[in-house]
This record gives sequence, structure tokens and C-alpha cells, in this order.
Amino acid sequence: MSSMRRRSEIVFLYACSTFVALLLSAIIVEAVGANWTDVWNSLLDGSLRKPGRWGKTLGSAVPMAMVAVGTIISTKVGLINIGQEGQMLVGAAFAAYVGAHAPGSGPIVICLVIIGGFVGGAFWSGLAGALRYWRNVPEVLTTLLLVTVAANLVGYALKNTWLLLDPDAAFGNRALVSKQLDPDSRLPRVEIFGNNFSLSVILALLIIVLTTWVLSQTVIGFKLNVVGENRRVGQRFGISEVKQGLMAMCASGGFAGLAGAMMLASGDFAKYRLVTGFTVNLGWTGLLVALVAREKVMAIIPVALIFAGLRTGSSFLAATGVERRVTDVVQGLLVLALLVPPAILFIRDRRRALAQVESRT
Amino acid sequence: MNELANSSTSGGSVLTGPPPAVTAEKLSKIYGSVRACDEVDIELVRGEIHGVLGENGAGKSTLMKMLIGLVLPDKGSIAVDGKPVTIRDPLDAADLGIGMVHQHFSLVEALTVWENVALGDNRRIDRNRTRDRVAELSHEYGLDVNPDDRVEDLPVGMRQRVELLKCLRRDPSVLILDEPTSVLTPEESEQLFDSLRKVVGEENRAVALVSHRLSEILHATDRITIMRNGAVIDRCLTKDTDANSLARSMVGREVGLSYSGLDNSNKDSDVKVKSEPDNESKKIEERFLLELKGISTSSALGVRELNDFNLGIRQGEIFGLAGVEGNGQSSLVEVLSGLKRVSSGHVLLNGEKIPSNRFGQLAKKGVAVIPEDRHDSGVILGMSVSENLLLSNMEEGYKNGFLNKQKRDARATDLIEKFEINCTGPNAPLWSLSGGNQQRVVLARETSDKPIVLVASQPTRGLDVGAIEYMTRQLRSLADSGVGVLLISSELDEILSLSDRIGVIFRGKIADSMRRQDADRENLGLLMGRGES
Repeated sequence: MSSMRRRSEIVFLYACSTFVALLLSAIIVEAVGANWTDVWNSLLDGSLRKPGRWGKTLGSAVPMAMVAVGTIISTKVGLINIGQEGQMLVGAAFAAYVGAHAPGSGPIVICLVIIGGFVGGAFWSGLAGALRYWRNVPEVLTTLLLVTVAANLVGYALKNTWLLLDPDAAFGNRALVSKQLDPDSRLPRVEIFGNNFSLSVILALLIIVLTTWVLSQTVIGFKLNVVGENRRVGQRFGISEVKQGLMAMCASGGFAGLAGAMMLASGDFAKYRLVTGFTVNLGWTGLLVALVAREKVMAIIPVALIFAGLRTGSSFLAATGVERRVTDVVQGLLVLALLVPPAILFIRDRRRALAQVESRT
Repeated sequence: MNELANSSTSGGSVLTGPPPAVTAEKLSKIYGSVRACDEVDIELVRGEIHGVLGENGAGKSTLMKMLIGLVLPDKGSIAVDGKPVTIRDPLDAADLGIGMVHQHFSLVEALTVWENVALGDNRRIDRNRTRDRVAELSHEYGLDVNPDDRVEDLPVGMRQRVELLKCLRRDPSVLILDEPTSVLTPEESEQLFDSLRKVVGEENRAVALVSHRLSEILHATDRITIMRNGAVIDRCLTKDTDANSLARSMVGREVGLSYSGLDNSNKDSDVKVKSEPDNESKKIEERFLLELKGISTSSALGVRELNDFNLGIRQGEIFGLAGVEGNGQSSLVEVLSGLKRVSSGHVLLNGEKIPSNRFGQLAKKGVAVIPEDRHDSGVILGMSVSENLLLSNMEEGYKNGFLNKQKRDARATDLIEKFEINCTGPNAPLWSLSGGNQQRVVLARETSDKPIVLVASQPTRGLDVGAIEYMTRQLRSLADSGVGVLLISSELDEILSLSDRIGVIFRGKIADSMRRQDADRENLGLLMGRGES
């Protein structure tokens, strides 16, 4: 089969399933008594058209994309990390701690804050990885359960000034917030056409490109892939499952932690402070982004943008009389829609391959 | 042979009186072009243990599966107590009083013994009654199983007894055991046979014992049916036969093909040409390329697999390791693939000790392996042909860690051409290749880096005739180029036609080894069946 035909088939399948998802969403909107054109317009207004909105969308897309990058890395090696929400939070907490305690300010501190986030996330997922290889504890469970542990630990840290609680806030209204990052220790923001976004957007793009390259063009990516596909073959040729697995797991959590640090240092969320509920479910959404992008790191960019658009757009829904959480439903339907075509293709390819093998023997 | 045929007729005439518990006539099962069972007749008589003997793939298991309803016969009839019946599934068989203990256990490890026994009951389970019944049966047959033990805490021998209990609880009139001793120690086997004696003697049941071990067939049965290539070769009473004649029947011997005749075959003239300058080659011959010294390994369940195993491979020879499967071969290949740690002993390559705790060392130092199951440890189905070819030597495609796609693909294209791998190109996913071509990819990768030793485990299994021919030719030419080849196979013909030296593995040890010229089938058959000749 020609690759042209195959490509057009894929596009057609995706178009069909997306259309069905949007149709269902429209029906739901109509069913709750609103008008779907209004909803569509306000979603577009909120995410794109109104002044300053696409900058916001970019800001939301960055953490989702970073989480998704990490998820794809762990999936490559055959591990399932679903605790990004917790890894993000730990990363953000490490970043906040570094930001509050690092001497001086300026670019070096910014770098330290970002690196601190990565280390924090890597540490948190590394725990799950270590348990996996030391005692064979399923990483699906540990990563997920460590989310709760992370939330409570960070909650505790936010109640104590020797950890994260801002001393000034402690005397005042008792709000549980960390010390605000120094103006010099924040990621610089850029303004284009009335939209401003932080440099984290550029950084995220760089990371996505770099990850794509590492996975496809270096021996590191090759080894990860070997272990993910057949660990016994890897072992025979000296590629250690434990080493690759731990590395991938740490990278996976590290990128989630990086996402947390970027949220903190970019100022799109919570004004450069760590607050309770800081991660606002972006870890979970990032997991969905990875799910839709499947193993392709580049595909993260459009998917993260769409999901971020739904998120920022939803804040404009109030005027249409639709509950803003309807976007969660739309998001869910879209995820389903985008997962169906690959499944169809996979089943069909396998059937064809089997038929081919059978006809040969 | 004639003498055996006579004894089989005298054995057959004993059957008078009540009809046998099971009579199967002309049972046939054909898979594609393979005749798994070809018009097999068998009678299981009450009060007797009936041994079914044969090599791997002789059709023993297929025959038994037809009796229990797991496989539907293409032709033939089955009668129970003289009445013709159709057995469509194991439930039918159970209703007719036929039960089977399978070679592989089907126990739920997390459950207790009595719970496992009760599994499959669709009535309400009466906990106390089941437990009492299990205890009672266990006592009655001397099985010594505690109904409240968890299966995961039990050693293999006990698990076997639980399987037996599951079967006995339904009070079957016919009991089939498929290779029951393959995982048991000799003492555990002995206890099992004692229990079986009780089942047969005191309760007048019929037992069929399927095995490839001569000693236990001779020891535990009353009557023997020997199968080879899907057909019954011979029948006899146990008291009328001995190990030698059983081995001869089991392994088979083509009429007119005497041992001296084999010695004149092509392969042997090759060997002679090579071994003629005896004094010159002696120096080389004395040095082993690969040497295994006192290797012992255990399975995850703690069962000994290799037991003080010693072996040396010389330059330019094919050492054929014969043996019935399950005597430690897979463990040996795993050790040589760097996939398993040894509990004692060590591997020497060119006299250098290779640490077994560092995976990948053997492959790097030049031990190539063609594994028995290529999908398990030979190839990566989800990756491309060129990537699969790269595994043994990643520097060929990655310069300082960065991909050099041109070099990688050029190398792959080279190997594809040289080994005549039929695929759409270096980037074809491996799953798109046929089995024979996947095997060629393995061969190409393993032999392209000038290995010192090649370990080939069942290298021709599942391949068609052309691919088999190709593979054997390659093995021969590798040996001729100076590589030491260890050929592990359960097919005696393959061993005999390829090897320069032959060893037989039995219960994790080399039972004996000899030069090809000194080997004969009968002797090998005995070694394979009971570890001594």
C-alpha cells in the first residue's frame, strides 16, 4: 500500500472521529438549553480571539506539554507513570524552596529554580521506579498513590515557615502560600501583539525538539526502545532493564517537575507563589495529551494547544449559560475520538500482517 | 524388532473378559501437513497402569487430549466400557469418568488447596465438606496434603499432588497423567507411583501414564505402548521388555541403515578429512574455546535445572547436545545468553573467566546464540530489520552515541543480501518477515561479528525444508571456518547428521559424550531416556 493512500486514510479517520465528537458535544450543549454556536464563539474568544487570550493559552499549554513529554519517555521503556500531578507538585515545591533560599537573584537563580523543579519531580517518580525494580511493586500503583502523599507533604510544607510558608503571610491572614519569587528570579515575559507569555514557551519548544531528537537519533533512545520492546533481548546484549527503566522513570517525573517549576516561575498561575492546589489538574490533562499524541513527541504541540485552548476558552462560557465544566466533557470526547483511529488502524494492520504471514507458510 | 512384535501380540491376547475402560480405534488428528496421530489404537484396562512412551512430538499428548476432549479427532472412535461415545469437551469426559492431570499445572497460587480442588464446582461450595473430603482423599492415597495450605507455599511435588487430588475427587474410572514427573525429584516421582499403584490396585481404576523416561515407564507400568511420529510403533507387556529394546523402538531406526552405513555418510567423510592430520590438530583440539565448569542453576521455584554441568567446545567442531526437552537445555542456553545467573560454577571463554553477574559480557566477548524461541530473546518484533541487526554491535550504527543512519542501513542492506533475507528493505518492521527470514536475521546478526562460539538451540524448529537446509549448511560452514558450534536439539537425526561430537544431557548433567563415529542410536536413546546406557 502506498504511503500516500495510507496517510489520506489516517486523515480521513481522524476527521470522522473528531466530527462525531464535536457533534456529540453540540448535542450535549443543546440538551442543556444553550446554543452551540454561542458556545463555540465564546470558546474561540476565550482561547484565541479576545486580546491577550492566546498568550494565556500558550501559558497553559506549556505544563501540559512538558508532562506529556515525560509520559512518552516512560512509555517508551514500558513503564506506566500516571502520577505526574504529584511529581509536578513536588517539582514546584522544590523550585519554590530553591527560589526562596537561593542567595542573590538573576539568571542563575532562574536556572536553579528550573533545575530544582526537575530534580524534585525526578526524585518523586524515582521513588516509584526504585520500588518497581527493587521489590517489583507495580509502578502504576505507586506513582498514582504518591500523588496523595505529595499533596499532603506539600500541604505540610506550606504550613511551616522553615519549609515553604512565606513568613510574611504567616503573620497576616494565615494564607498558605510560599514566598513570592523575586522579580529578578522569574522567567522573563515577552509581549507580542498585546499577548504576553513567558520564556517557558520557548524552553518547552526546545525541549520537545531535543527529546524527539534524542529518542530517534541517539543510542540513548535506541536502548530505551529496546528495553520497552523486549527486555530479554536487551539484557542479552548488556542493556540493563533496571538502568534504562530508572533513567526513563526519573526523566518522566523530572519533566513533570519541570512543568511545575515553569508554572511557578512563569507567573501564569498563582502569581509566582506556591499555593494549595497549585497544579490545577494540569498533570492529569498532560497525561491525556500524551495519550492522544501516542508515541510521537512532536504531536504533543498541537494536542497541548487544543487542550489548553479548551481550558482558557472555558472561562468565557459563563455568558452563554453553560456550565464551564462542559469543556471537560468536550475534552473527554475529543480524547476518545482521537484514540479511536489508531486503534482501528492497529487492528487492521495486524489482521493484514497475519493474513500475509499465513499465506506465506 | 521381530521379537518385540511377537511379544506385542501375546500382550494383546490377554484382553478377554470385561470390556476395557477405554477403547480407542484408529484415532487420527492431522494439523496441516503434520500427522500428529495416525490411526492410533489404544486400550486402557481397569487395574492396570498403561505407559505411553515416545519422544517429544511423537503424538502422545495429542492422543491423550483426544481422550479427554481437548482435541477433537479427525477420524476414529472411542468407546467407554464397551459403549461407543463422543467426547466433545473435558466436561463430557468427566461425565464418562475420565480425568486428566496435565503436564502444566492449572492451580491458583493465591488460593488454598481445598479452594483449588473446589474450583469449577458450580454447586454451592460446602467449605467443611470439601475440606474433609480433601483430607480424606489425601490420607487414603498417602498424599499428605493439608487442605488449608496455600498453593503458593507448596513445593512443586506437592502441587502435583493437588492436581492429582482435583482429579481423584471426581472419582474417575480412568486417570490420565501427562508427563507427571517432568518437574519432580526422583523421590517425589517414587511417591507418586506408589499412590498410582493404590489407585489401580485397590480401586480397580485404569491409569494411563505418559512419559518419555524409560526408567519410570519400566518401573511403574504394566503395559506399554510406544509411539513415534504420530503412530504406534510397538505394544508390549512391561515384564516382557527391557530398556534396550524400548529405547530402540522409541528412537527408531530406518530399515537397512546400519551404524556402519551411517559412518559412510557425507558428514563423516568431512569429519575424517578434518581429523586426519591427527598429530597437528591435537594441540588445537586440546584447547577449549568455550568451557563450562560445574555450572548449577535453579528455576524461580527453586528446582535444580543444571546440576554441576561440564562441557567444552573445541575450535571448528559441532558439538551436538542431544536430550529430551526439559532436562536443563533451556537453562543452559539462558546461561550462555547472559540471561541467567549461575548459582555455582563458571563459564570460560578462551580460558578467560566471564563473570555471570554482568549481563551482556558473553555476547560482547563473542558467544553468539540462536535461541530456541526467537521471539523471546532473539529478535524485537516491533523494531526494524536494520535495528535488529544492530543489537549485537551498536557502534556499527551509532557514532559516539549519535545515529549514523546511512552506515546502519548500508550494513543492513549488506547483510540482507548476504544472508538472502526476504524483506522490503532495512526499514521493514521485523514482524512483517516470515519465520524463516526472522531466523535469518538472527543468524546474520549473531554470525556477522566473527563469533568465537555459536550456540544454536533447536535452530531448525518450525522452519520449512528449504530453511532447514540453509540453516544446517550455515552451521557446517561456520564450524569449518573455525567457530566452535554447540548444537542443542531434541531431534536425534539433526544431531547425528551434523555433529562431530555428541553429548547427551539428562537431568541437568552430561550423561555421556562421544565422538560421532562411536555413537549409535540405541545407545543415545538409552542415555536420553534414563541417563545411562
